[in-house]
Formats: sequence, structure tokens, C-alpha cells
Amino acid sequence: MQLVRAGDARAFEIVFDRHSGAAFSLAYRMCGRQAMAEDVVQEAFVSMWRSGARYDATRGSVRTWVLSVVRNRTIDAFRRESAKGSRDVSEEGIAERMPAPELTDAEVERRDEARQVRKALVELPPDQRQVIELAYFGGFTHSQIADMLELPSGTVKGRMRLGLTKMRLALGDSPEVMV
Amino acid sequence: MPGKHDCGVDAAAYVLGALEPDEAEAFSRHLTTCVVCRDEVAAFQHTANALAMTPPQHAAPRGLKRRVMRAVRESDAADQAQGASARRPRRVGSGLFVPRPAVAALGAFAVVVVIGAIIVGSNGSSGTRTIAAAVTGTPGTAQLSVSGGHGQLVLRNFPQPAAGHIYEMWELRSGAKAPAPTGTLFSVNSSGAGNVGVPGGLHGVSKVLVTQEPVGGSLTPTSTPVIVASLD
Repeated sequence: MQLVRAGDARAFEIVFDRHSGAAFSLAYRMCGRQAMAEDVVQEAFVSMWRSGARYDATRGSVRTWVLSVVRNRTIDAFRRESAKGSRDVSEEGIAERMPAPELTDAEVERRDEARQVRKALVELPPDQRQVIELAYFGGFTHSQIADMLELPSGTVKGRMRLGLTKMRLALGDSPEVMV
Repeated sequence: MPGKHDCGVDAAAYVLGALEPDEAEAFSRHLTTCVVCRDEVAAFQHTANALAMTPPQHAAPRGLKRRVMRAVRESDAADQAQGASARRPRRVGSGLFVPRPAVAALGAFAVVVVIGAIIVGSNGSSGTRTIAAAVTGTPGTAQLSVSGGHGQLVLRNFPQPAAGHIYEMWELRSGAKAPAPTGTLFSVNSSGAGNVGVPGGLHGVSKVLVTQEPVGGSLTPTSTPVIVASLD
């Protein structure tokens, strides 16, 4: 990242190669449209290039930083396009349409770890998983979710807290290493 | 009521980005004084970060890298054509100084109660003056050191930005209704100190402001400024 900070485009290409798959996968999960996901990822990486020093190693891995920028950019795109109605796509549908990447050992390890996180999410009670997914992947606020589900906001926030607590316990103390 | 929280209720929604903007701002302030909520946010943040890896993983589409690298080159070329300064990141002083490009027009900006900054010192021989900035809603002090038409913001005993947030610097030009981004994002060191230059000159600038923004920065301020330095 020091090289990226110094404006080394080759170093930036390496960052892209390492994290573009995860970045695109997150954007695609949130957008549900390949073209929009590509636009968001492009916008995110260009913004990271122009502000590489924003990365602070004490706050997490490069991947965590990349994915947080991608998520923020995706939510910005939602707000611009008001595309909330067409975002959900099934995981199966994505898998059918998307090419399979060539997996490195590191990528295989990441996927194993990601599988654990996914398992922890899937094993949540449906009402807790639903509010977490709507907030994290949908970019909705607790008030919007409360309106959608016809629940009090306090209930929505309570379910978020219960769900995250269960996931944290299921994953142990250091899920950070996964991303 | 601002600053009052039922501890433990909002932390999960906060790390998921699910609080309303005013709630998130109030909770950020609350975090500066509540160790219980800070700990809970820190614990939840790791889990929230891990959520980013739960979607099915796929390779980026062919051609995306080419598009991104082309956009990167075009971005650099545009900067050079504009003769922009401070477009590339650099590190200055003890703060974690993180410039980003000033882009896009700004929308409406919430009215800010500005406590008038005062000139607290002046060095006649060097032409340097020091302006005490108003600090709102957070501990710490801030001064703007002005010399030769350039400014340096000096922070002391400032808290780290809330989780998932960063400080962003803005400038309000004389006659303008809304502040413009300076392209500077920064944090402070572990001692709460920061030393951050104001990109470009201060000619025509009436105020320098700092807000907390989500990591990645914002094109318009999304929270009340924590620092306002008035040059008028």
C-alpha cells in the first residue's frame, strides 16, 4: 500500500488483482445487476487510487478497506438511482451466470473462511438474518426496514443486535482475519 | 435527547449503517464518552466486516481491470491538465493526512452554529497568525495557523473518528452558501494530535470546517462540523 500511496500504478494493479473478485461479488450481491456492479467497482477503485493514503493498517486489512469503500459506493449508487426494487437476485442465479474464477491457495482459504461466515449468517433465525441482510446488503435504515416489515423500530434494532451477537459468538473472537 | 442513549440498543444498527443520519451522528458523539458502547461497536464491527465476504465469490468480469486502469490513467491526466495540487496522497506532520480530490458540486448544507473564531496570536516578523477554531461536540482543541496565504490545521487531544468514519476538511468561500470539499481526509494519531495542511491557498476562503464522514469521504457534509475556523 505504500507504493500505491506513492502513485505506483503497478502496485495498484496488484491490489486490484487481489481484491477485485471480492469487491465485485459484494457489489453484485447488493446491486443484482452486473453492469451496475461493474460501474460501482470501477468507481470505488478509482476513488481508492486517488486517495490511497486513506487506508489505515491499524483499522483492518486492505480487503476490509476495499470492501467498505465498495459498499459505501454501492449505497451511494442506490441513492442516485433509486434502484431498490430490482436488487435481489438469488445466489443460484448469480452462480449460473458468472464465470468461475481460477482459485489460488489464498483464495481457497478465503473462501473457506467466507463459508464459515455465511454459515453463521444462514443459521440465524430468519427474522434476525432478514434485518441484517436488508441493512447491510440493501442499505436500508432501521426505520425503512421497520416500515417494510411493519415492525417497531426497536424490534428491528433488537433483532440486528441479537443476530450480530450470535454471529460473533459463532465465529469466535477474530473474524477480522477473514477479510 | 442529544447525547442520551439507551446503551446497547444502537451499536448493532450503527455498524450495519442502519441508523438514520442524525441518529448516527448523535451516536458517534455518544461513543466519545461511553466505553461500553465503544467496546460493543468494536466487537460488532469485526462481524459486520465479515459480512462483506458472505456473498458467493466470483471473479471480476473480464475487461473490468482494463476499464479501471484506463479510468485511473484518465483521472491522473485530468488532474495534470487542471494543474491540481495535492491530488495525490501524502502524509504530513503527525496526523494521518489523506487528501482526496475535490469533486462534484455541493448540495444544500445544514446551517451550522458557528462560534466565532478568534485570533489568539500573531507573529509579526513571519506574518503567521494563529486562529483558535471552534470545536463542537467533541473534546480537543484546534487552531488554524495561517502564513503566506496558506493554512495548517493543528489538532490536539482529539478523539479518533468513530468506527467506520474519518475526518473530512471543507472550505467555505466568501459569498458561498455551502462548503466545498478540500479533498482532505484525515485522522489523528494515538495521542489525539494532527497537523493537516489546507490544500491550495486560503484566498477567498472565509471558513475552514471539519466534519466526520463515513470512510471514503462524502461529497457533501453529512454531519455537523466538529471544527469551524473563521478567517473573517
